Amino acid sequence: MELLDRYLHAIEFWLPKRQKQDIIAELSEDLRSQIEEKEAELGRKLQNEEVEAILKRCGAPLEVASRYRPQQYLIGPTLFPIYRFVLAVALIGCVVPRFLIWLVFLLVDPAHRGYLHIENMWATVLYFAFFTTVAFAIAERSGVKLEALNTWNPRKLPPVRDPNRISRFGSLFEIAAGVVVNVWFAGIFWPQPAVDFYGVRITIAPVWQVFFWSFLFLAVANVAIAGVNLFRPYWTPRRAGLRLLFDGIGAGLFCGLLKAHLLVGISASSIPAAKAIELTNLINTWIARMLPWAIVTMLVILSFDVYRILRLRCVHLHGGSIGPAVKDLSSPMVNGN
Amino acid sequence: MSQSNGNHDLFENLRLELRRGCLSLAVLSQLRTERYGYTLRKALAEQGLEIDEGTLYPLLRRLESQGLLTSEWREEEKRNKRFYRLSPEGKLMLKQLGAEWQKINSSLKEIL
Repeated sequence: MELLDRYLHAIEFWLPKRQKQDIIAELSEDLRSQIEEKEAELGRKLQNEEVEAILKRCGAPLEVASRYRPQQYLIGPTLFPIYRFVLAVALIGCVVPRFLIWLVFLLVDPAHRGYLHIENMWATVLYFAFFTTVAFAIAERSGVKLEALNTWNPRKLPPVRDPNRISRFGSLFEIAAGVVVNVWFAGIFWPQPAVDFYGVRITIAPVWQVFFWSFLFLAVANVAIAGVNLFRPYWTPRRAGLRLLFDGIGAGLFCGLLKAHLLVGISASSIPAAKAIELTNLINTWIARMLPWAIVTMLVILSFDVYRILRLRCVHLHGGSIGPAVKDLSSPMVNGN
Repeated sequence: MSQSNGNHDLFENLRLELRRGCLSLAVLSQLRTERYGYTLRKALAEQGLEIDEGTLYPLLRRLESQGLLTSEWREEEKRNKRFYRLSPEGKLMLKQLGAEWQKINSSLKEIL
């Protein structure tokens, strides 16, 4: 019976303290009865292998003991989806931008990486995951009941939103902002060799002409897309592709602009010539240093554009997952506008 | 191969789920007469309902803590055994659950 005693001892270790003796006595009685019955059937003592087979059928000690314990969890099934959502949003919000910034600085401007060490990032992630888990575990143990579970009302639930629908307000805002900014942009930065700005004469490199007309063209194109969106308020693959194309060209131009050392000179009656040259170089250097940040921002914008196209492809392939989207998308998508 | 394993696992899970609710009823019905764990298992097995010790004893404890069973340790054949039987609440519960089972059974017969 040595095997049986070892088995019971192993189970006992994992049992709740107050019930240990009782449970082991009962389980022991059952297993001994099984062994005795088998011995009576065979007319001999059981060999170790045969006892082992009986115990194996009964289950692993930890598994057997766990059946006597109440179900325990750190974060229960009600809070768990919220916990996972908070963790995912915060970790993605924390990790992705930092990783992008780290990567772009490493590629573009490794000399000025500064505090952006990848090790710091993992530490941040671990701290964040740890404290989020602890906070939710405390909420679970303190029996926090979500008020929303008791007071919910179907009429208060948010309306189903079609991600491929473009809000008319958004399109109107885009058009208005586009027109105002373009007029201001053209008025101030009309391609000329020098601009007078509050008594300061700013001399600009001739290459500015290329940037100016390109930006102006892109801005007008984007206003045009917003105009189409206003009357056909659903993204289509063609329009989403055009938006990606224009954003991509804009991103490339903007990054080129930062590296172009556009500022040739600054002059003002109150600034000595040597100081003006120093200031010019300093401004050009700082503008160039903004490049990694600009790349990260552009990557985020472009990834949204790519995601929009993928989402549209998904709707095309699977017929859409949201009712109104399928119904409403059918006409503009078929038209391919 | 993995598809067939997956189906087998799924079947096992669903089968266990299906059995879980029935076991309480079966155990309560068998404890109209006093029994200890091993004889209870054998009685259930003889009627085609195999139940392993890892499932039966925690279930007995749960039913006892819910007041549906009473138990006592007694010596029999020179060994200490824990005998269980239905409590008055258990008898009432068995009656209600039995009626519910009959309803479910007749509905399922129609459906299947």
